[in-house]
Amino acid sequence: MTEHTHKPAIHLPPVAEIEQEVEEKAFKFSEWMAHQGIFVVTALLVIFAMLFVDGFASLPNITDVFNRAAPIGIVAAGMTFVVISGNYLDLSVVAQVATAGVVLIAVSNVFGLPVAILVAVAIALLYGLVNGIAVGVFKANAVIVTLSTTFIGLGLLRWLTGGSIYFGPNDGLIRAFGTARLGPLPLAMVLFVVVTLLLSLVLTRTTFGFMVRSYGSNREATRLAGVNTGKVVIGAFTMSALGAMLGGFVLAAFSNTAVSAMSTGYDFRSLAAIIVGGTSVFGGRGSVLRTLLGVVFVSVLTNIMVLSGLGFGVQQMAIGLLIVLAVSVDALARKGIAS
Amino acid sequence: MSESLELTPDEPGTVRTRTPIIEAHGIVKRFGGVIAVDDVSIAVESGEIHGLVGENGAGKSTLMRVLAGVLAPNEGAVRVDGEPLDPGNTRAALEAGVSLVHQELSLVPEMTVAENILLGSTPTRFGFVDTKEQRRIAVDALKEIGVSVDLDEPIARLSVAMRQFVEIARAIAREPQVLILDEPTATLTPAETEYLLDMLKRLAGRGLAIIYISHRIPEIFTICDRVTVLRDGRHVTTVEIGETTPGAVVQHMVGRELELELQEHREDPKIGEVVLSARGIRAPGVNAVDLEVRAGEIVGLGGLVGAGRTELVRAMIGADFRTGGEATITLGGTTRRVTSYRSAITAGVAYIPEERRTDGLALTMAVVDNITLPNRTALSRRSVLNRRRVKEFARSLADAVNLRPPEIQREVGQYSGGNQQKVVLAKWLGREPDVIILDEPTRGVDVGAKAEIHRLIYELADNGAAVLVVSSDLPELLDLADTIHVVRDGRVVGTLSGRDADETSVMALASGQVEADGS
Ligand SMILES: Nc1ncnc2c1ncn2[C@@H]1O[C@H](COP(=O)(O)OP(=O)(O)OP(=O)(O)O)[C@@H](O)[C@H]1O
Ligand SMILES: [Mg+2]
Repeated sequence: MTEHTHKPAIHLPPVAEIEQEVEEKAFKFSEWMAHQGIFVVTALLVIFAMLFVDGFASLPNITDVFNRAAPIGIVAAGMTFVVISGNYLDLSVVAQVATAGVVLIAVSNVFGLPVAILVAVAIALLYGLVNGIAVGVFKANAVIVTLSTTFIGLGLLRWLTGGSIYFGPNDGLIRAFGTARLGPLPLAMVLFVVVTLLLSLVLTRTTFGFMVRSYGSNREATRLAGVNTGKVVIGAFTMSALGAMLGGFVLAAFSNTAVSAMSTGYDFRSLAAIIVGGTSVFGGRGSVLRTLLGVVFVSVLTNIMVLSGLGFGVQQMAIGLLIVLAVSVDALARKGIAS
Repeated sequence: MSESLELTPDEPGTVRTRTPIIEAHGIVKRFGGVIAVDDVSIAVESGEIHGLVGENGAGKSTLMRVLAGVLAPNEGAVRVDGEPLDPGNTRAALEAGVSLVHQELSLVPEMTVAENILLGSTPTRFGFVDTKEQRRIAVDALKEIGVSVDLDEPIARLSVAMRQFVEIARAIAREPQVLILDEPTATLTPAETEYLLDMLKRLAGRGLAIIYISHRIPEIFTICDRVTVLRDGRHVTTVEIGETTPGAVVQHMVGRELELELQEHREDPKIGEVVLSARGIRAPGVNAVDLEVRAGEIVGLGGLVGAGRTELVRAMIGADFRTGGEATITLGGTTRRVTSYRSAITAGVAYIPEERRTDGLALTMAVVDNITLPNRTALSRRSVLNRRRVKEFARSLADAVNLRPPEIQREVGQYSGGNQQKVVLAKWLGREPDVIILDEPTRGVDVGAKAEIHRLIYELADNGAAVLVVSSDLPELLDLADTIHVVRDGRVVGTLSGRDADETSVMALASGQVEADGS
């Protein structure tokens, strides 16, 4: 009766073996994409652009890329804290960037720069507090909360400004900052790198950053370890708010103007940079340095499209595609880890 | 190793004539550099209950996940009824009749019993859920295992034990030929365990092949026909149960002679002043409980699963909402009220929760991070973590609990269940707590590690900590506790001294057969 089990049962039919190999590779690839992929992909994109895209590899163009990347990069660096805390994203950066920009120019036109900065900081802290309390203490959904605060913030701004454009004086400090250079590098770009490094240290070296990561990985376990989780979430949204404020400053200084519509698309562009960088939307995993790479990637990609004469619609489509792709890779990698 | 697929090659006297229903041959499974299962073969017949034992991390769960198509092996093949199984294909394994009840519960808490039982194989009519059929299958499956529970109850409202039974019903509903149970009794009380074991015997009697994993050796000897021992991912032996002894099995597991004697009671515990005091604690499922734990004392909370012990300790220290009563912690002459969970932690309480995966650990983070979390203040200066100290600290604690392998940079989620439990302990030991509350501290932990954990608990108490242990493992409770409070329906129904208590006296109180005096 046992006869048929004595037949060579040791080797599987070849088909099954091949399938198995394919599956192993696919699983490893998604994990690799999520963890290391961004370094290689960004490098490849830059090399591609240098070789095949006319006008990419010139100093003025590269400077321009970085000047555009700087504000979005600073916003994304701050928002990375919210994503790692497991709260998806901070949509209200759109309102916060515009508010900071308008306050910087409009208030300093009347009351001077120090007052403008103070007001902007106060507003940023308020955003951090309101978003953070709603999400972290009342446990409301971050997407809905920040969508609402976007409406409140932008609505208020439009109501107060009537949608008008504010111009800074041509000999003012703001304009000087917007056009200043450190050697060959625009000051905005230096600020972007410095802020990224600083926030990276906060995330990796401080107990606050540690709690943000831990909370993103497991809220309940973090609470039961004695962490004041409400404070952690408020902290994460405050980092996002401060990033958005600085980003707003840079954006306004760059053109020496500000208007309530200046930050359209900043929510999804920052999210794209964060996720493309490999920070997980499920929380717990990621870094600010990855966001920096993600920003470079998104900016170079946008630049290539602009240089190739592709319009805003195509650019928007590309960003959307990019996000879908990146979150899918993220989810695949997570599945690999879970099994 | 023998090329033939004959069973029990180690035991020449036992040639079986029946064909194995499931056989795995030469299974190898690696995770990166780690070999979790190393060239293991196993074959199980219809109607057989086959025990699978081994220390934490021996590869039991991994091997079973290969058999059930959850993981694709790197080498080797699985055959069901002579037919090769598509590796890493859970659906194919289910269709071939292999059902796995995972070590960790895998039900959806928000969904009902009926929905959970049919999860993944929901019957449909014209594309809509066929609720009638769904209920019929669920009822049949529950009948099969002889458990009665409301089909419309959400899982979240069931006791842990009932969830375990629903999980088994779910496996049964697939009408399997092979049922694999990965430590199903880890969360059950003795009575529930007995019920489960009887049920498995009945199912095997009807021709089902069962693979049964447990760290409780007596269970293996109660129901299994044969037992396979794994050690460090390798197959050590497969023997007829009648031809071996518990001592021999344990020796195979650890690969050396083990001091199996768990230390019973401490010589003479030095018990001091009351440290943890609770009066009139009320919460959902908890009815005005008074409780005291003294310095150096180990107090045990006994009772059936669902008696309200977890709810009681959580309400007491503020981890969950409390509707009434008050708890205080007295140390060095000052008494502090527990006003919130954080105030309890600050006052020197350590709490090791029952559910390590959801409440105890950040699974996607490294061991070192998990250990750092409750100790972050001590390991930092002006909020900046001292990375060298963090590493040294985590390494020494990983050693203290004997984590295997002791790689502190590895993600906790990659560790076996028992080793995960050691990490939960490690993170709190570092605080040198004055009050330590342990809810099921050795669930899913192997015999050797259990003795280690008991030793750690004794050490804490000997150093003057007030220790409160909740355990459904009655022998454990009897060994550890100086005083046992038995809880039923959210009340303390009796208090026994650890010396006088025995299984009968505790169970009599727990099940309500005896109304004791005391509170
Ligand atoms: N997803 C994974 N990634 C990396 N290593 C893993 C993974 N799953 C298991 N391992 C490793 O494989 C080995 C065997 O683990 P397994 O869970 O099979 O042990 P076990 O015998 O079931 O132990 P326990 O009794 O503690 O449940 C362990 O060393 C474990 O760390
Ligand atoms: Mg296991």
